[in-house]
Amino acid sequence: MAQLFKPVTNTIARASLVAAAAVPFLAIFTGSAISRSSYNTKAGVSLEQPVPFSHQHHVQELGIDCRFCHTSVEKSATAGIPSTDTCMMCHSQIWTDSPLLEPVRTSFATGRQIQWATGGEPGWNKVAKVPEFVFFNHSIHVNRGISCNECHGAIQKMHLTNKGKAFFMKWCLDCHRNPENVLYVDQANPQLDSKQQVFNLYRKFQAGAKLSPREQALANGLSYTPTAEEKAHAQEMIKKFNIKKATLEDCSICHR
Amino acid sequence: MPSVKGKGMESKNSADLTLEEISKKLEAGNGKQYYRSLDEVAGTPEFRKFLEDEFPNRSTLLSMDRRQFLKVMGASLALAGLSGCRFLPQEKIVPYVKAPEDIIPGKSLRYATAMVRRGEALGLVVESKMGRPTKIEGNDLHPASLGSTDVFAQAELLTLYDPDRGRNVLNEGQIATYDEFLKAAREALAAAKSPRIVTDRVASPTLRNQLQALVKAHPGAEWIEWEPFNDDSALEGSVLAFGSPYETVYDLSQAEAIVSLDCSLFDEGPWSVRMARDFASGRKIEGSEAKMNRLYVFESGVTTAGLSADHRFTVKSSEVVDIARQLVMALSDLEADGPFDAATIREIAADLIARNGKAVVVAGAHQPAELHAIACHINHAIGAIGRAVQYRPTDRKPLRTGATKLAAELAGGRVDWMLTISANPLSTLPQADGLKEAYKKVPFTAVAALYEDETAAESKWYVPLAHFLEAWSDAEARDGTASIIQPLILPLHNAVPVHELVASISGKPQPAYDIVKGFWVAKGAGEKWEKALHDGVISPAKPTEAPKPVGGIGPAGSAAFGFEVNLRPDPTIDDGRYANNGWLQELPKPITTVTWDNTVQMSLNTAQRLGVKNEDVVEVTVGQSRVEGPVWIVPGHADDSVTLHAGYGRTKCGRVGEGVGFNVYPLMAGGAIAEGSVKKLGKAHPIAAAQTHHSMEGRDIVRVGSIEEYKHNPSLEPHDAHHAKKGLTLYNDEQFKNDSQQWGMSIDLNACIGCNACTIACQAENNIPVVGKDQVRNGREMHWIRIDHYFSVKNGRFEHVVQPVACQHCEDAPCEPVCPVAATVHSHEGLNQMVYNRCVGTRYCSNNCPYKVRRFNFLNYQYNQKNFDKKDDIPLLKLLNNPDVTVRSRGVMEKCTYCVQRINEARIEAKKQLRKVKDGEIVTACQQACPTQAIVFGDVSDPNSRVSKARAEERSYKLLEVLNTKPRTSYSAKLRNPNPRIKA
Repeated sequence: MAQLFKPVTNTIARASLVAAAAVPFLAIFTGSAISRSSYNTKAGVSLEQPVPFSHQHHVQELGIDCRFCHTSVEKSATAGIPSTDTCMMCHSQIWTDSPLLEPVRTSFATGRQIQWATGGEPGWNKVAKVPEFVFFNHSIHVNRGISCNECHGAIQKMHLTNKGKAFFMKWCLDCHRNPENVLYVDQANPQLDSKQQVFNLYRKFQAGAKLSPREQALANGLSYTPTAEEKAHAQEMIKKFNIKKATLEDCSICHR
Repeated sequence: MPSVKGKGMESKNSADLTLEEISKKLEAGNGKQYYRSLDEVAGTPEFRKFLEDEFPNRSTLLSMDRRQFLKVMGASLALAGLSGCRFLPQEKIVPYVKAPEDIIPGKSLRYATAMVRRGEALGLVVESKMGRPTKIEGNDLHPASLGSTDVFAQAELLTLYDPDRGRNVLNEGQIATYDEFLKAAREALAAAKSPRIVTDRVASPTLRNQLQALVKAHPGAEWIEWEPFNDDSALEGSVLAFGSPYETVYDLSQAEAIVSLDCSLFDEGPWSVRMARDFASGRKIEGSEAKMNRLYVFESGVTTAGLSADHRFTVKSSEVVDIARQLVMALSDLEADGPFDAATIREIAADLIARNGKAVVVAGAHQPAELHAIACHINHAIGAIGRAVQYRPTDRKPLRTGATKLAAELAGGRVDWMLTISANPLSTLPQADGLKEAYKKVPFTAVAALYEDETAAESKWYVPLAHFLEAWSDAEARDGTASIIQPLILPLHNAVPVHELVASISGKPQPAYDIVKGFWVAKGAGEKWEKALHDGVISPAKPTEAPKPVGGIGPAGSAAFGFEVNLRPDPTIDDGRYANNGWLQELPKPITTVTWDNTVQMSLNTAQRLGVKNEDVVEVTVGQSRVEGPVWIVPGHADDSVTLHAGYGRTKCGRVGEGVGFNVYPLMAGGAIAEGSVKKLGKAHPIAAAQTHHSMEGRDIVRVGSIEEYKHNPSLEPHDAHHAKKGLTLYNDEQFKNDSQQWGMSIDLNACIGCNACTIACQAENNIPVVGKDQVRNGREMHWIRIDHYFSVKNGRFEHVVQPVACQHCEDAPCEPVCPVAATVHSHEGLNQMVYNRCVGTRYCSNNCPYKVRRFNFLNYQYNQKNFDKKDDIPLLKLLNNPDVTVRSRGVMEKCTYCVQRINEARIEAKKQLRKVKDGEIVTACQQACPTQAIVFGDVSDPNSRVSKARAEERSYKLLEVLNTKPRTSYSAKLRNPNPRIKA
């Protein structure tokens, strides 16, 4: 009778032992890598839309204020999505025969919500979404001078809009635990109140004005570590706004 | 529930206890003790089992075989492991084509409008979120509401989105068009000799105008109004007393002494919201100067008025007329002999006279006209008219006359065209059953109503009618104040506004807005139209002259009935119009806390005499009619008397209400108070009552005392109360030592009347689901705020108290340290937060909560109405949800959040303006709905806030303070103001 186990079996057995030890770790590692990857978070992934709207063109090149389209961003929890009307304010005059704008014109003509050219499904694909048990309020963040780019990334550079950041809870908490890292006053325009400063930033981008290191980071959608001096300045703002750091961390601030 | 014999436990069935035994058991305990149910007093094995067993009805679990068990466990494991891992679907954003001017996305708008119930208006302010009505609240400027609502107003929201509402015009059950209906109706009307229009009591002046014109244009036509529970007696009584009909409008804020003659003061139509407010305003205690009004109640069943009374006298409803006569005699210093103790009556009379016109006598709507006439005379004699009661001239006729005539005409085949609007005559007319065949023979019959009801099922045509939130209309309140009913949404289905229906049948089709506005412009109110829409009131009540009584009171009538049967509208589904409303079906009824059923309520003695106990089915007979229903023993009910609530036993109203309870309308022919009999049948019907759930095991929970006791011991704390050791705690209290505002609530038990408005307002605000009868029987109801009901026995009399209990937001919350995943933690503002997305459903927190206020989603209750094992989402119900509150799904714990969404909104607005939240800026849903303003919410760290002042009162106490949980909700003890000269 031939040998049941050949010498190579020893190697296989050893490899199996190693694998048995390694596979669970690998599985966990792969799982968490996938869940953190943009495959899951959709960060940086441009979604197809009924009209290939470009923030880069409208914000950076034309200098249209955020609030022209996102009308309620400084008043309400939601920023608001522009109505067909808003698009047609300009596009009834310019690019009136662009095939890309056909869905907008159809919507305006028929009174039906904007629809995909193919499939006939209404609406835009939602890019920046927080889970339904999270209640984010745009207005209070804008009123505190938190730049749109802080969460939405380098929006003024996006040809097709994508989710600028991954929206992990830890990332929210980073600021809620350390608001001094994101609160700032534009030293070039100290007369502006915090809210105005948010929207003025895009005018600075457009004009090619000299940017502070923080603004540079915001322009590129990168994270920024403030200097000690900036932090001290932010502390003053915390006092001025009566921001209670402990309260900011309470669950019910976002979950209810 | 299976019966288990207790071993070595001396216990009896509750129905076998006598009053003496109960008193003895109660006296054996130390001090005043309150019990939640008779089963608790008796300590029955069933009750103990319910208390001690987590799954009282678990036979199904034990009887499961091995295979089944493994299958279930396997499936559970798979679900537990995988349910968290999935890619979320791509969501769509659908923007407007043309953005409406007033809407800021994410912000709500509020519109003034009004609702109508039993022909009277209640002014409302309705919140609209992105064009979708999501919450109904009271209108401060409306005299019936003064900013509060009743349970029905809150629940109208669910009716609006009810998936069972009529959706199409039907001809013989087949879908037809509205135009086809109009053509058929008009042709038939032109040929008809005696057309009849049957409506509910119409509160709309515009509709009255339209209907009168329609009737005038068709000779032989008649318009009949019908409400099974109406105020005919009050109208007829005023005719007897004053010679012409008057509307009775009470203003209890002007009364220091109130005598209720079998009147359920706080449950008699929309004006009761105002009556509750006025009553409570006379009982506000400030400092040690306790000045309170005094309420005497004579009644057979126990009502919310009875439990608020300073003196509740249990009498038969059929005796009340004679008792009123005694009162008249006593007021005129004559011998006051009669069914009731003359000495007591004399003291009441003396009290009424001593108040110098600041007193009133109130008669129950179901009592005969005679009693109302006597009440008019007494009110005149004690000088109440023009103060606590106004008699407003009216041209309304009693509804009974028209309805009786209609029934006779139908039976005689003399009707050849009949249109029914919002009434359900084949179900609610006296002897309706006999009319069915005759009705079917009428050549043209049509029903316009919210639901396809019993009458619609027998009609040739059915037209879905628009809800009041869907169409323009107007309505008058009891005092004559008129309001415009402003719609908030276009009709969800193919529903037709009632004004358009009548206009089209009259041959003058017009939009409802034009009809209603046209009517008011013609009345000269066109200029203030915009203001009227904003305020919710278009023409205020006019002062009236006090009428003088003519003649005296009639001679003594018949004696009390040997055994009386009382019929009353249901406290939660009214006359049946809300039968398909799951919120109202599941709302525990005041006093009995029964849900999803009506019962035959009787006293302990009567039950013993009949040999029945709770849930036994009995047959109730009045004349030739009989109905069958389950018994529910109500401590304090009059002997030889039963109370039945109407509105149940619907055969056609939608999936929620059909087949629930039993129909009592067959007994209606005998009147609301009739002589009858009750017979035991050998059957039982399970009842889902919240009564024995959430028991607190006889600890010192509700503090009640008389004014005298309060003067000596302002805290009303029992002498043997245990105290927690001060400063002894394992918790970290540092987190409250910051300069954040600290939220707290105070509930004044002295004001609470147990009306349940808070419970259902909370349900509407916080997306709380309906769970159904079986789940309630398992103790799984989801209400975040419940009304506990306790009773005690004092000198052979039952005394009732109620206490609203929601999460107490303990500073040292026992639920928090036991949560393995930190899903419930404290905020720095003192909220006990519940983080749904962390919760894994261990239910340790609920187990450790001494107040039993946590609620667990055992099944997928959301968007569902009955079958929770199937996931039959009802998309329409998603419209109902408040978008600012998470919708919870299976396996998640939940509880009162102090309306954290309202706190957050106010805080963010205040922060934007760089200021603190002002006192009174945050109003919780329960506080807003409360008709008596018993609930105060605010910042307890600010000594000047209203809540801090309430907590500083001497009668303020915390629930189960001995546990050292430091609740943020405090209660103020209840006071009674008994007449010291009446020996109870």
